[in-house]
Amino acid sequence: MDKNKFINILIKLGKVDRRVIFLLIAIVVLIPLIKPLGLPIRATETTQRSFNAVDALQAGDRLLMSFEYGPSTKPEIHPMSEAVLHHAFLKGIKVYVVCLWPDGQFMAIDALNAIAPQYNSVYGKDYVLLGFRPGNEAVVKGIASNLRKLYTVDYQNTLVDSIPMMEGVYNLKDFDLVFSFSAGYPGTVEWVQYGSDPTGVPMTTGTASIQVNEIIPYENAGQLRGVIAGMPGAAEYEALVGKRGLGTSGMDAQSIAHLVIVLFIIFGNITYFLERKRSQKKY
Amino acid sequence: MLFTTEIIGAWFAVFLTLAIFSFLYKDNPFYKAAEHLFVGVSAGYWASTFFWTQIQPNLFGRLWPKVDGEMGGLRAAWYGIYDFFGWFHSGIFPDGGIDKGHEMNLVYMVPFILGVFMLFRLSRKLGWLARWSMAYVVGLAAGLRLYGFLNSNILAQVRGSALPLFDGWGTAINSILIIIGTLTGLFYFFFSKEHTGMFGKISRVGIWFLMISFGAAFGFAVMGRISLLIGRFYDLIQFSGPEYHHATYWLLALIVIILGVQAFRERGRHQTESA
Repeated sequence: MDKNKFINILIKLGKVDRRVIFLLIAIVVLIPLIKPLGLPIRATETTQRSFNAVDALQAGDRLLMSFEYGPSTKPEIHPMSEAVLHHAFLKGIKVYVVCLWPDGQFMAIDALNAIAPQYNSVYGKDYVLLGFRPGNEAVVKGIASNLRKLYTVDYQNTLVDSIPMMEGVYNLKDFDLVFSFSAGYPGTVEWVQYGSDPTGVPMTTGTASIQVNEIIPYENAGQLRGVIAGMPGAAEYEALVGKRGLGTSGMDAQSIAHLVIVLFIIFGNITYFLERKRSQKKY
Repeated sequence: MLFTTEIIGAWFAVFLTLAIFSFLYKDNPFYKAAEHLFVGVSAGYWASTFFWTQIQPNLFGRLWPKVDGEMGGLRAAWYGIYDFFGWFHSGIFPDGGIDKGHEMNLVYMVPFILGVFMLFRLSRKLGWLARWSMAYVVGLAAGLRLYGFLNSNILAQVRGSALPLFDGWGTAINSILIIIGTLTGLFYFFFSKEHTGMFGKISRVGIWFLMISFGAAFGFAVMGRISLLIGRFYDLIQFSGPEYHHATYWLLALIVIILGVQAFRERGRHQTESA
């Protein structure tokens, strides 16, 4: 084939309808979901540090988990929260759950109902869901100073004073670790600014991919113990806990889709430069 | 065919997912319907959740907490107002006060009044009252944010950029890169001096660091979107099974057929118009 003809074909392919690209992405995501490839998963340092922070807790220690995500980011963050719950219940850590997002409460109920029965964990003794309170950063500040003022009842309207594991819990300093599962505002940033930094309570986080760039500087500066970054982070945490979940099974599709997108970007750039070169020759 | 609430929910979820995906083909009534439904349900859900998790238990619960025994004087009059409200809705204002573990605290009348002022936004004559509430909210948020950012984003980040240089080659290279990136990035955002000469060269290095950061952000954004796509596909695969009466296949076929017919009609209309 002569060179000009080949370049013409490339340029034509570069102008392919965007719907064809959507279709190709859909196909490459769908195939590994139906027929998994089993690509290896290796924990990154940030995920390992998050795991270590939870692993360092002893049975009976208090872990505050904050759910700041909803159905729109469930595929990324829910596997993280489930993996951390596995880890916590496995070690006998007491889990306290709060929600800064209203739909976070649904996510928390879903995760707790799925994981707690596997360890015969009892509500009120091993874990408690305090629920959602509106107010964004003001809620974090409220928990940091006086949790009892903000939460007089849990999500089922049970008086907090009557819940056995709430004994001795009055503010953020009564917790051994904060774990925020965040998809945006209010979320990890607010927990760092109004919770962890002012009180000195160690904190780690699991975030949606889109938030990772914003969060990493806090981890670098030591304000966060670790970061679980998006679905790959969830898969890594699942591998560390030894519980395969949605994060792991989505990783094949994720990797293949990335490869195809990278190829599209390279191809798009090649055709762009070819076209530019040709138009420069014309004039 | 048995349709339980779970199966109906699955069909509804599949329909809405496919309706949103249909936008990738082009804007259409399925997408519009799903979009409007999402906005409406979100607004309704937020309003309801805010009311039942904050206003009812933490505001009304502090103004009219449950009291045992007899009341007299001012307190009886105060609870008379409560009983009047209770006459309209006993679910919000149950008999004898709201039992959410609070003591009576009349300072909460201030946020109550400010909240009511906010509703005056709907009135042309009294709309100005809402500005008081807005001023309070803006002032509070500004104060809170200033403190948070100053402490965690400026002071702690400056402390965090004081990195060890002589702790192995890897650490040294990383630290030098972070320091160069931070300083050149700051140079770029210094607009009081023209970006020429040495200053321009340094800020140009800053641009490179910013570009790398934007590239990483783009990569993470792609990763996030693909994860969401995987999540939806999981559900579509799950709901395509026989236990859900093959919801995905039926609804996909229905939407494709309707959009196809619509496209065919539009094409016919265009041809007639151009003729």
